[in-house]
Amino acid sequence: MNTETAEKIKGMLVERLRIPEDELEYDSELFGEDIGLDSIDSIEIIVGIESLFGVDLTGSGATKEDFRSIETLTAFVEAHKEA
Amino acid sequence: MLNEKRCVITGLGLVCAIGNSTDECFASALNGISGIDDAKSFDTTNCYSHKGAEVKLTNAQLADGRYDRTTALGIKAAGEAIKDAGLDLESEDASEIGVLLGSCIAGAACVEKYYNQKAEGGKGDLDDLKSMPASVIAGNVADYYNIGGITANLVNACAAGTLSLSLALDLIRGGKGEIFLAGGCDSFSSLAYSGFHALKALAPSGCSPFNHSDGITLGEGAGVLVVESYEHAVARGAKIYCDVLGSGVSSDAYHITAPRPDGEGQMSVIRRAVENSGLKFSDIDYVNAHGTGTAKNDESEFLSLNTMFKDNNKLYVSSTKSMTGHCLGAAGAIEAVLTVKSLTEGKLPPTTGYSEEDIEALKDKQGGINVIANKPVQKDINYAMSNSFAFGGNNASVVFAKDPNVLNLLCPKQSLYVTGIGLVNGEYDDEKGDYIAQIDTETFKANGIKSAFLRKLDRLSQLQLLSGIRALQDAGLEITDENSGNIGICIGTNDGPMTEIANYQKGIIRDGIENGSAFAFPNTVYNAAGGYLSIATGIKGYNLTIANGFQSGLQSVCAASGAILFGYESIMLASGTDECTDIDDEIYSDLGLTGEGGMKLGEGSVTCVIEKESSAVERNAKRYAKIAGFSSARDTSGDRFNNMRMSKISLTKAINSVLEEGGLKPSDVKCIYGFGNGIGEIDVFEKEVYKEIFGEDIEIKFVKKEHGEARAASASLQFAMLAKDIYEGKAENGIAVSFGTSALYSAVLLTKA
Repeated sequence: MNTETAEKIKGMLVERLRIPEDELEYDSELFGEDIGLDSIDSIEIIVGIESLFGVDLTGSGATKEDFRSIETLTAFVEAHKEA
Repeated sequence: MLNEKRCVITGLGLVCAIGNSTDECFASALNGISGIDDAKSFDTTNCYSHKGAEVKLTNAQLADGRYDRTTALGIKAAGEAIKDAGLDLESEDASEIGVLLGSCIAGAACVEKYYNQKAEGGKGDLDDLKSMPASVIAGNVADYYNIGGITANLVNACAAGTLSLSLALDLIRGGKGEIFLAGGCDSFSSLAYSGFHALKALAPSGCSPFNHSDGITLGEGAGVLVVESYEHAVARGAKIYCDVLGSGVSSDAYHITAPRPDGEGQMSVIRRAVENSGLKFSDIDYVNAHGTGTAKNDESEFLSLNTMFKDNNKLYVSSTKSMTGHCLGAAGAIEAVLTVKSLTEGKLPPTTGYSEEDIEALKDKQGGINVIANKPVQKDINYAMSNSFAFGGNNASVVFAKDPNVLNLLCPKQSLYVTGIGLVNGEYDDEKGDYIAQIDTETFKANGIKSAFLRKLDRLSQLQLLSGIRALQDAGLEITDENSGNIGICIGTNDGPMTEIANYQKGIIRDGIENGSAFAFPNTVYNAAGGYLSIATGIKGYNLTIANGFQSGLQSVCAASGAILFGYESIMLASGTDECTDIDDEIYSDLGLTGEGGMKLGEGSVTCVIEKESSAVERNAKRYAKIAGFSSARDTSGDRFNNMRMSKISLTKAINSVLEEGGLKPSDVKCIYGFGNGIGEIDVFEKEVYKEIFGEDIEIKFVKKEHGEARAASASLQFAMLAKDIYEGKAENGIAVSFGTSALYSAVLLTKA
């Protein structure tokens, strides 16, 4: 996993979605019990990723699984960056 | 359920994208003429949608150009309603007319202008700053027409316009007034446009409710109805359009923006309105639906209507938003005016925009109801309903009728008690020079609130949630499936989420309208705090937020008491909440109200549990004190265009009203919890009035010395401290009093339980 990308995504989630930093791990389930994101948050993640990396999650066919954690988002971004 | 006093509609006023008067709008609606066009108020080039339903008149054409556009729209519609009702504003009667207006975005146009000026390095126009909060709207409209009755701004987002009618009914049936201008107004705004754009909730082209359901189109406008007791209308020889039989208000307790997919909240509000009106589901002939055109709304509304009206095969439904756009806090009022016209003229407007294929598809989607597509239906009808469902999970419904129906005289009036108190007060912070409340994640965790939920809440909502939870705990109240529907919430606030509003606006000035935050937008609505409280606690009853100056924290007690006495709740949480952030510091400093010789800002939230006797007895609840009288009063003496004026007449009237209601003489009163806040002029005025009414020796207590000017939270704190004093035997009785803009005062008399 590209930790630089993961860190950037983590920072974006903390800033845009006010998730407490100390509760957010790379493998935390974002839409599960712990972090508890919902559909509004997913819109914000799409905008955040687009502005950070120029990767359009919806246009590139990201699935629910890709939104699962910082790890899966990082993998998706790495695979679609500069594509 | 209480329907013992006949209430009628005697005047209508309307302005929106499809016309500048009621008749123009109704004719357009019947002819299916849409007001949706390319938005012109601001540049939408970089947005994926460019549509809006804007009013063609300028602010100067709406009023006299001195007001924010939302208020100007309200002034225009109120003027038509006053004229239509044949009200003589020179007569003494005008001093008793109240003004209750709903708004969602309030002075958003002025927020935009003010922060644009500041972004460009300017100072910002003070008139714009004063016009930003919802608190000033109804008072400004009342002052404009020299109308002297009480005011309220109902700020429950897209249900606000309908809630104003519900409050008017409660007030008239509770003997707190005979005649009200009730309605709603909202302007087109970059803030709302950006917010719905961020949520991907705007339709790419014009909205298509119950049809393509691909999003909303924002509109602007105002609707005002004159709601009057039948006796009052007959006595002045008024023309009567129809009766307004009853209303319902409920909360979803589900999500801050999305409706419950199972439609439970919508169904409960429809049931309440039908039952409150003494009707059967099969009696309703026409529903003017919420019908926003989002997939989620349309799906859940089809489900709700089909479920509730399953035995009614003659029900016609339309969404006039297909032509007017979604006018947010004005929507319910605009639709109420159109519904009254539909009922009285026997002509039902269509939902527009269906192709032949769409009409075929509709037959499958609509189930047992008849959505009126494209062409109006001519039909004599007797009962019509208008529904509104809002952000925060707020639902409101109102029923109009051609006849007064059978009046229900079975609801006995009961005593009301304070049975719980939850306090979140500010303490002096040397560094900030304000009184700041200590709230942290650990406190919430200890109260069962997870950080996954808490992170969504702005500071105002967090303050509110904490005091609400503490009040429920203090009252020993657990929310269950059995009681959740009969417990409600009424919140008062002066500034509401102004911090979120200002920050959102600054963000889109910096990043563009197309780059607003979907996460932040829901917190810019004034009723978000009430919505989160309902979601966190599971409270599903009445839900109202009033933004009406510092006294809002006492007016919330009055409205909560009304919702029990004249509505259908057993228990109400009545709150006052205001925050103190850097934005508040900046606003009050710019207004010149803080600093040397001014007030010290504070923040906090106070929630009191108000409960009817039968419920308190059944639960064996601790009773702090009995509510022996509650009243609001206002007048237009002095310079009525100065909405910061003080009025001895109104303050005296509010106090005398509660004394009369409680059967006490001034000499019986033991103490006053006053509103003094360190501004010399206010303090001197207040003490003089009390001395005149109660004599030299009356004990006056102030809460702001210890906790700062926390505005609505201070007003609620005065009430809560008085209740505590009585409970602890420190006082036999007392009155809590506070003040708002446009010379509005509220007072509550508490006695021993």
